[in-house]
Amino acid sequence: MIIPGLIAALFTIFIAGFGVAMLIFARSGRINLVECSCLAWLFGTGVVSLLLWVCGTFCSGFVLQAVVTIACLALAILGWRAKQHANATFALPRPATVREWILSGIVLIEIAVLLFVYFKHTLGWDGLLNWELKARYAFLNSGSIPSSYYFSAGRAFSHPEYPLGIPFTELWLYLWMGEPNQFWIKIIFPLFYATCAPLLALLVSRLSGKCWLGLLITALLPFVPSISASPGGVVVGYVDVPLSVFYLAALGYLLCWFKTDDRQFIVVFAACSALLPWIKSEGIILWAVLIALGFILSLAKHRVPQFLVSTSPGLLLVLCWKIYLKVVHLWPHSDFVTASFSWLRDNFGRLRDIFGILFQELSEPVHWSIFWLLAAVAIVYLFASRKLEKVILASAVVLPVILYSLTYLFSSWPSYSAHMTSSVPRLLLHVMPAGWLAIGLALSQPKSENQTL
Amino acid sequence: MENRVGSAETNLSIDAYLRALTGIERGSEKLPDTFQRLGKNGRIVIFVRDENAQSEFLGMMIGYVSWPREVQLIKVAAPTVEKELANIEPHTVAGVVFCSVNPPSWLGHRIHLGSSIVLVPVSEASP
Repeated sequence: MIIPGLIAALFTIFIAGFGVAMLIFARSGRINLVECSCLAWLFGTGVVSLLLWVCGTFCSGFVLQAVVTIACLALAILGWRAKQHANATFALPRPATVREWILSGIVLIEIAVLLFVYFKHTLGWDGLLNWELKARYAFLNSGSIPSSYYFSAGRAFSHPEYPLGIPFTELWLYLWMGEPNQFWIKIIFPLFYATCAPLLALLVSRLSGKCWLGLLITALLPFVPSISASPGGVVVGYVDVPLSVFYLAALGYLLCWFKTDDRQFIVVFAACSALLPWIKSEGIILWAVLIALGFILSLAKHRVPQFLVSTSPGLLLVLCWKIYLKVVHLWPHSDFVTASFSWLRDNFGRLRDIFGILFQELSEPVHWSIFWLLAAVAIVYLFASRKLEKVILASAVVLPVILYSLTYLFSSWPSYSAHMTSSVPRLLLHVMPAGWLAIGLALSQPKSENQTL
Repeated sequence: MENRVGSAETNLSIDAYLRALTGIERGSEKLPDTFQRLGKNGRIVIFVRDENAQSEFLGMMIGYVSWPREVQLIKVAAPTVEKELANIEPHTVAGVVFCSVNPPSWLGHRIHLGSSIVLVPVSEASP
């Protein structure tokens, strides 16, 4: 039952997300199958994990599984009906030149290799103790996190206050497999990479108008050591790569909305950005950055109301999660003190060390090869272009890095430098695909004609 | 941790880490079985070495597999825990686990679960 259960779990995630994607893109008349499939995985994991969280408060066990499955099927049917109603057709983009065929082949081989490598690894420290642990305890409690877990001071090491996006995606697989299987559960992480790669190609192609450039950038993606190796890479089951994919999608579609004024893109932005805080606590910083940058874009486009509406799902999710943490009487985050001016004044002297460690990490070839050098050149170029969307893109790479670094001013660890050294390589991963998007757009020359992707 | 492709074991990651850190085979089954024999009530106190990643990780793994029993993780700076052990109220504790920490010399009944992990049932843990 394990393999059929696994297939059923992945299938339900996929069709739920595909339904949502079809609902969004039906009006366009032409649904890009690759794009829809990539977004299907992102939306699907978001929908299923949220449904498990919400429905888990009312029902459990088989009933919970049945309710969520029916909701997934309902979304798929609604999406299909919307597509039929709008007379939309599916389109499968194909490489047009030999160069594009070769690059597409390389990208596919890279995905296959990462999938193989992934199965050779166990879950890493955080992958096991912060994320999989919650999925297992929820599985053993018929589908919801037991309240005793939140009161268990001895298990504070597993960060009960972390959001449940990935643990509940894992839980969904466990419910269908009928057991908490630590081998098969790993499959969701290479699937995030398999989503990231085509999405990056598509966004670079769409924003630059050059398909080959998108494929080239995507082919270079796995050559950054951090994405395939510890710490935080795709092989160890951490949530940093999934978070980076959501960030890439939210940022990319925000820029697409700015470029085309197409409403479907702002809807995708709304969905992907809303799920950022649901994947990892740091996602709220990424969400806030996107909201700030998006607001600037909306001012320039005179579309402020439309943009503000798009921020509401994220705001709602953040509020609901905060209320939930209050309800379960969760203790505050132990790695950071509550930010205040007195702490800021006391710890201001840390700044020099913090940015020293950051620079050291950015220039660490074992983790990043020459990625940050390329990204730095691209960022300078984008800022120098003085075009709003390019400045926004560069800011979307730089701002999270600065904000993440500043959080260590409030680190409660005895050694804030040890805290930073242990976590900043993973945090930098969050903006790595967005950095490749910046490199791709910096490499492209302005092109006025519309692309067809 | 890298392993061979093909071993689709249920508790693949837990077992692999426990095997590497303590030499225990199928630790995800053996450790909970051992803890169940301590009785239904009482928490497990786990001593780990402060700033020793291996010891801390092992302590967390013990905390993980001993669910739903309540656990208490205590980080100690010194290699022995005489003072910390004296602060424990015996009637609330089922057992004490030492992860890369030396149990006090007066503790006679030690159960060596693995190469760097020792369990002492609570009745034996009181001085």
